[in-house]
Amino acid sequence: MASLTRRRMLQAGAAAVTAWAAGGCTPEGTPASAPTGPPRNGGTLRVGAIGKAAAIVRDPFGVQPNDSDYLILSLLYDTVTIPAKSPLVAPRLATRWEAGEDLRTWRFTLAENVAFHDGSPCTAEDVAWSVRRLRQSEAGTSRLPGIDVSGIRAEGPRTLVIESRYPNSRIPLLLRLTTFVQKKGTTDPAGAPGTGPFELDWFRDGNARLVRNDNWFGGEVHLDAIEVRMFDRTASMVNAVLTGEIDLASNAGAVAARTAGKRDGVQVVRRPDDTAHYVVMRTSDGPFADPRVREAVKLAVDRKALVDQAISGYGKPANDILGTGDPCYAKDIPQRERNIDRARKLLDEAGFDRSRSYQLLTTEEIPGMAESATLLANQLQEAGVKIDVRKQDQATFLGASRGKAPLYTSFYGTQDSVVFCAGKLLVSESKLNEAAWHDPAFDAAYQQVVSTADDKRGAQLSHDLQQVQHERSGLLVWGAADGIDLASDKVGGLPDLPGYGRVQLERAWLSG
Amino acid sequence: MIPHRTTRVLGQLTRRVVTLVALLAITFFAVEVLPGDAVVSSLSQDASDAEFAARRAALGLDQPVLARFWHWIAGVFSGDLGTTARGQHIADLVLGRLPQTMLLGGTALVVTVLAALALGSLCVLRPGGRADRAIAGTAMVALALPEFAVATALVVVFAIWLRVLPAATGTAATSPVALVLPVIALALPQIGWNTRVVRAAFGEQLGTPHVDAAVLDGLSRRRILTHYLLPGAAPTIAAAAATSVGMVLGGAVTIEAIFNFPGLGSVLIDAVQHRDAPLVAAVVALTGALITVVLIGCDAVRAWAGGGR
Repeated sequence: MASLTRRRMLQAGAAAVTAWAAGGCTPEGTPASAPTGPPRNGGTLRVGAIGKAAAIVRDPFGVQPNDSDYLILSLLYDTVTIPAKSPLVAPRLATRWEAGEDLRTWRFTLAENVAFHDGSPCTAEDVAWSVRRLRQSEAGTSRLPGIDVSGIRAEGPRTLVIESRYPNSRIPLLLRLTTFVQKKGTTDPAGAPGTGPFELDWFRDGNARLVRNDNWFGGEVHLDAIEVRMFDRTASMVNAVLTGEIDLASNAGAVAARTAGKRDGVQVVRRPDDTAHYVVMRTSDGPFADPRVREAVKLAVDRKALVDQAISGYGKPANDILGTGDPCYAKDIPQRERNIDRARKLLDEAGFDRSRSYQLLTTEEIPGMAESATLLANQLQEAGVKIDVRKQDQATFLGASRGKAPLYTSFYGTQDSVVFCAGKLLVSESKLNEAAWHDPAFDAAYQQVVSTADDKRGAQLSHDLQQVQHERSGLLVWGAADGIDLASDKVGGLPDLPGYGRVQLERAWLSG
Repeated sequence: MIPHRTTRVLGQLTRRVVTLVALLAITFFAVEVLPGDAVVSSLSQDASDAEFAARRAALGLDQPVLARFWHWIAGVFSGDLGTTARGQHIADLVLGRLPQTMLLGGTALVVTVLAALALGSLCVLRPGGRADRAIAGTAMVALALPEFAVATALVVVFAIWLRVLPAATGTAATSPVALVLPVIALALPQIGWNTRVVRAAFGEQLGTPHVDAAVLDGLSRRRILTHYLLPGAAPTIAAAAATSVGMVLGGAVTIEAIFNFPGLGSVLIDAVQHRDAPLVAAVVALTGALITVVLIGCDAVRAWAGGGR
C-alpha cells in the first residue's frame, strides 16, 4: 500500500507536469468558444467519461458509480422527466403532470408516438413497470422516498400514476433522474432496447458506440453517432482532449480547465452550481455542538480566497445554504462575510478551548477538497483555532469519518434544489444527516414546504427553510463549484446544466 | 537420473506454489487491515443501514477473514476466482484484461532484451571506445529514470506538442500505434539496467581462455559474439531479464494509469482503493503465476547454457 500511495503521488506530479506543458506551450489567448451558426447535421462525437472497470454497471435500475455508464444509459433510455434550469424539471416521456388536491396522487401524461428502438410502442405499462423496478432495486427507497411499489401504476395507455405516502410537491423532481424506461418484462436489462435519442451499436469493456435514433419523439438529433470512451483517470482524459483523440472530456474539473483552457481549439464549458463544497461541524456533541462556536467558524473563513485557490476560481462563494442553483435560492439573505473579531468574541463567549488543536478530516475524493482543508486550517488559525488537517484515503473517509467525525470537509453534487438537499442532508431523519443536526424549526419548515402546492407559498416556506439553515446548521457551505467539461471548439449545443444535466448530449453537434 | 530430476522439478514447483499461496494470504490480510470496507465503497452514500447489512452479508463480510480467505482459495483451486464487491465475476473481469497487460509487458520485455543485446554487443566490439562509453553512460541514466517521468515526457513531446502519437489508449485491441509510447516508457529504464548487465557479462567472457583462443584463431567478430560470448553470458542475461519481468509488471500499474491502458494495473489500483480483497488477490495470483512461469523458463535457460558448455 505504501508504494501504491507513492505511485499515486508521483502520478499526480506527472499529471501536473503534463498540464503545465499543455498550458505553457501556447501563448495565453482568449479561450476558444463553441461554434456559432445553425447546428450542422452529421458526424460522430467522441466523448470521454470517467469510469472504472470493476465498477461497470449496465443495469439502468442499478446504482451506477461510473460517469461513463450513466452517460451511456442516459442516451439510450429516456426518463420520465429531465433536469432543467428554471423550472427545475422539464418534460421528457411525460409531457405534463398534475397532482390531486392532497398532493399525494400524481398523474403524468405520457408523450404520444413513443417507440422503442425495436419499433414496438412504449406505453404507460412499460413506464410503470420500469419505475416499479427502480423502486424495487437496491437503492429504491432512497431514489423514490415515500413511494411504495403498489403506488406506481399505469392508468390507460398514456397515464402514469404515482402515489406518495405523504403530501409531496416534489414528485416530478424525484423522477428527473434515473427513471430509465425499458420494455415491460425485460429480463436482461444490459443493452435492452430503450426509447432514447440514440441506440446501441456496440458496448465493450465500458466503452460504447451509440447511433442516432431517427424515430426519436423528442426532436431532431444532429449527430450520427456518439462514441463513449471510458477513462480511469482525469489526467489521461484531459490529455486525450488536448491531442484531439476525443472531442469532449466530460466533468474534467477545475485544474484541467485552468491549464488546458489556454490552448487553442479547446473550449471550457462551465456549468454553474454543480457541486457544493462545505465543512461539516457535528452539532449533537463534541467541540462544535455550541451554535456560537459554529457561527464563529463560519465567520472566520475567507470564502473568496477558498474559491480562488481551492477550485481555481471556477465557482462562487456560498452562504451556508445548500441548493445554490435553485431559482428559489435566497439571494436576499446577506452573504456571511469574514469577521475575525466577531469570531474571536463568540469563541470566548462559548468558552471554546483554544489551547488544543482540532482534527479536520479530508480526502481527495473530488478536486479541491483536500486543498480547501489546508486553506481552511490557515484561515482558522487567524481566529486562534488550531487545526490539524488529516488526509484520509477514500474508503477510510467514507467508512469511518463521513457522518461521524466532529469536523470534516464534504461535498454534494446536486445543487438545483434547496428542498432536495434539505431532504437528503439536513432534516433529522435523513440518512446522510452529516452534522447530526436536529432542529425542530427546520424540520417543520421542511415538512411544510414539501406539502405545499401553492408556488408562492412554497417560495416563502423555502425562504424560511434557508434562513434557519443559514443561521444555525452544522454546515459551513463555502463555495459552489462549476462543473467543467473540456471540448474541442468544433462542438456546439453542449449542455450547461449542473450535475447530471451534463449527460444531455442529444442537442450536441459538430461544426466540421 | 530422470527420477532424480523429476523429484527436483516437482520440489521446485511445490515450493513455488506454496510461496504463491502464502503471498495471496498476505495480500488478503493486508487488504483486511486497511480501514473501511468494500460495502461502504460500493453502495451509494445514502443507502439505508438495512441495505448495508444485506450487502455485507451477501459478500460474506460478516464472516471472519480466515474463513473468507479459505473459501476464496478453495474456489481458486477449482477454477473459481469469486466475485467483486459489486457482484461481477472476477474471472470475466481479470481474464478479459490479462491479455492486454501481457501484450504491453511482453512487448516491453522483448524490446528490452533485443535492445540490451544490441547495445551490449556494440559496447563489447570496442571496449572503452566512444560508443561503449556513450552507451554505458546513457544506460546508467536510463535505469535511474522512473517510468512515470518517462511516460509524462513522452506524452508531452510526442502526443501534445508533436501530435504524432496518441496519449491515451482506448478500448482493448486498438491500433498498435497506441502501444508505442507505453512500451517505450515501460522498457526504457529496463533497457538501461539490462544493457549494463549484458555489457558486464560479455566483458567477463572476454577474459576467458576459450574466447582468447577464438580471437587468436582469427574468427569473425560476429561468430565470436554468437558462439563464444553469448552462451557463457546467457545465464546472467536471462537472470537479469527475469528480474525485469517483475519490474515491468510493477511498472505497468503506473503506465496503464497514465495511458488509460485497459489492463490489470488500473483494476488493481481500484481494487485496493475499494478494499475488494478477492479482486486484489486474484490480480496478484495471476501476475504471481505469470512471474513463476517466467522464473521456471529462466531456470531452463540457465540449465541449457550450463549443460551446453
